[in-house]
Amino acid sequence: MTIVACTFGDPTASGEVEELLTLARRLSESNASDLRWLVAGSAPRAAVEELAAAYGVATVDRIDDPKLEGAAPDASVEALAQYCASRPPATLLLSQTFDARLVAPRLAGRVNATVMMNAVDVENDVGTVRVTVSAYGGDTRAVYELTGDGPHVIGVMANATAPERSSGATPVINDVSVDLSRIEERIRIVERTPEQGPRLEDANIIVAGGRGLGSADKFHHVEDLAEALGGMAAASRPIVDDGWADPSRQIGLTGKVARPALYIAAGISGASQHMAGCSAAKTIVAINRDPDAPIFRYARYGIVGDCIELLTELTNAVKAR
Amino acid sequence: MRIVVCAKEVLDPDAVNSYAVAGRLEIGEDGRTITQAAIPRLMNAYDEQAIEAALRIRDAGVECTIAVVSVGGDQADVLKQAAAMGADEIATITVDTSTVDYHVAARLLAAYVEHSGGADLILCGRQASDDDQGVVPALIGEALGIPVITIARAVEVTSDAARVTRVTPNGEEIVEADLPAVVTISNELGLPRYPTTAGRIAARRMQANVLSPDDLGLTPDDLQPRVALTKQFVPQVQGNCEMLSGDSPAQIASDLIERLRADQVLP
Ligand SMILES: Cc1cc2nc3c(=O)[nH]c(=O)nc-3n(C[C@H](O)[C@H](O)[C@H](O)COP(=O)(O)OP(=O)(O)OC[C@H]3O[C@@H](n4cnc5c(N)ncnc54)[C@H](O)[C@@H]3O)c2cc1C
Ligand SMILES: Nc1ncnc2c1ncn2[C@@H]1O[C@H](COP(=O)(O)O)[C@@H](O)[C@H]1O
Repeated sequence: MTIVACTFGDPTASGEVEELLTLARRLSESNASDLRWLVAGSAPRAAVEELAAAYGVATVDRIDDPKLEGAAPDASVEALAQYCASRPPATLLLSQTFDARLVAPRLAGRVNATVMMNAVDVENDVGTVRVTVSAYGGDTRAVYELTGDGPHVIGVMANATAPERSSGATPVINDVSVDLSRIEERIRIVERTPEQGPRLEDANIIVAGGRGLGSADKFHHVEDLAEALGGMAAASRPIVDDGWADPSRQIGLTGKVARPALYIAAGISGASQHMAGCSAAKTIVAINRDPDAPIFRYARYGIVGDCIELLTELTNAVKAR
Repeated sequence: MRIVVCAKEVLDPDAVNSYAVAGRLEIGEDGRTITQAAIPRLMNAYDEQAIEAALRIRDAGVECTIAVVSVGGDQADVLKQAAAMGADEIATITVDTSTVDYHVAARLLAAYVEHSGGADLILCGRQASDDDQGVVPALIGEALGIPVITIARAVEVTSDAARVTRVTPNGEEIVEADLPAVVTISNELGLPRYPTTAGRIAARRMQANVLSPDDLGLTPDDLQPRVALTKQFVPQVQGNCEMLSGDSPAQIASDLIERLRADQVLP
């Protein structure tokens, strides 16, 4: 039985790989199965070796093919399907990135595997894989049992596992070849916005605004404080829907999942679907005029009051130093 | 052109959230399902938007039939709403929902497409707000061997291709794929239309096509679920919130900044 943790591209580009490798190793140790790390697409060899060693992965399989460059769903699904056919894994775990959210279920459909997304924990119990997933935007956890020999394709939610290093031997790196010569992406990109600047996912300080701001012209108060703190501005979904902030600012279940040291939420109620994107923040500060707002359950510090007034005063207080 | 929209009935996620926050969400005796009768059932909001996306294609002058299909027990309300919004056909596939996993749902929906005259475009919601899985559309695409484009904000079609504006984490992206294709709709599409009075009246007369798995040529083997829900619970949120107060917003603000510095959250 083999557990495969699969990542795409440069694994150092995001923090998710450490979580994935930690969860995968735990799962493989729990039932003494082999652990392999499948790296698809071009990734710096030294970085892969270092991460594999640090997280106790003895075997790395690399699939590098020019057709995997960029988000290439058809090539990715085909490459993983060929990989699964040649060395069937019992379980294949993927970090649930935007692209993986499409590749994982398509792969499952292709190789007749079971699929489960939003996993926060995976256990193996005598032949039954038990997956705990987030449901209802985080309001509930659902436990599913996956039957059959697999493969089971499982998407792992960001921030669900605390990375834990484990010393291992120098990893063996295998180059696995796949034949993608017949693959032509069926989805043609007509226009793509180039990747811009820093990512909310990596921000150390985030100031987020919600419907409590009152109107579109107030979002700058969020941006002002974010700038004064050297952080990034973010938003809840309703104000993105209403055009007060750009969609790329959205935090939450269907937006970005962040884990800053400090998350200041102004005029945000704290619905589970929003908290799914920020509850991993180390310190949450909530500003809300309703003392019963759910956001206070997650916050370290709470202020009951008008968010515009407080954002303004906080910006002043930061600048005063 | 034939457009099939897949629509699922879900528990109102806002109501579920309110009960969960209040610590009053009830899980039934089976330990698996939310039993609260007071929580309304409604059409998954993204699926409403998928119907809206189909209607916009028709509004843009594309000659098309719009069929809305739902898998489940009693889908009458969802389908009536779809009809009132402007669907030309409504269909329900009757199965015991407790034995329908994502694989089975996708298989039933793909079989519906094949048995109902095919589809040039299949529109789904980006995810169902109960399970948040977002896997059924991709599984339908694989079952039918057609491309899947996720998280659309706008969909246009020509006679043989779809042009889709996707919302990606890096910004918008415009892609194209030959038809047939599956496209999943996200909230950025905007509000779905309200049914008109005429639409409601027409909907009352429209009969849903009621199909069984047997009608779709599926065998009991095809309906064997592979993932089983064994438990559901409400995760605990341990609060340790310290409420800050003071004489003025300015004072509270400087108090907060001081504490964050003391905690070494801020330099
Ligand atoms: C499937 C699904 C996915 C979703 N995905 C996301 C997601 O990714 N991200 C997301 O954010 N949401 C998401 N949502 C929506 C989510 O459920 C909530 O509706 C949303 O987060 C609420 O946004 P809000 O807090 O800005 O607005 P509201 O819930 O309206 O809250 C506004 C808050 O502001 C307070 N307020 C009002 N005036 C003031 C003032 N002057 N000063 C201070 N406070 C004030 C109010 O007391 C209230 O608490 C999703 C929902 C579903 C069903
Ligand atoms: N039982 C169902 N009936 C009709 N459509 C469904 C059903 N389940 C899922 N879908 C479609 O697939 C999308 C994603 O669902 P899911 O993968 O369950 O999150 C939904 O938004 C619907 O468009």
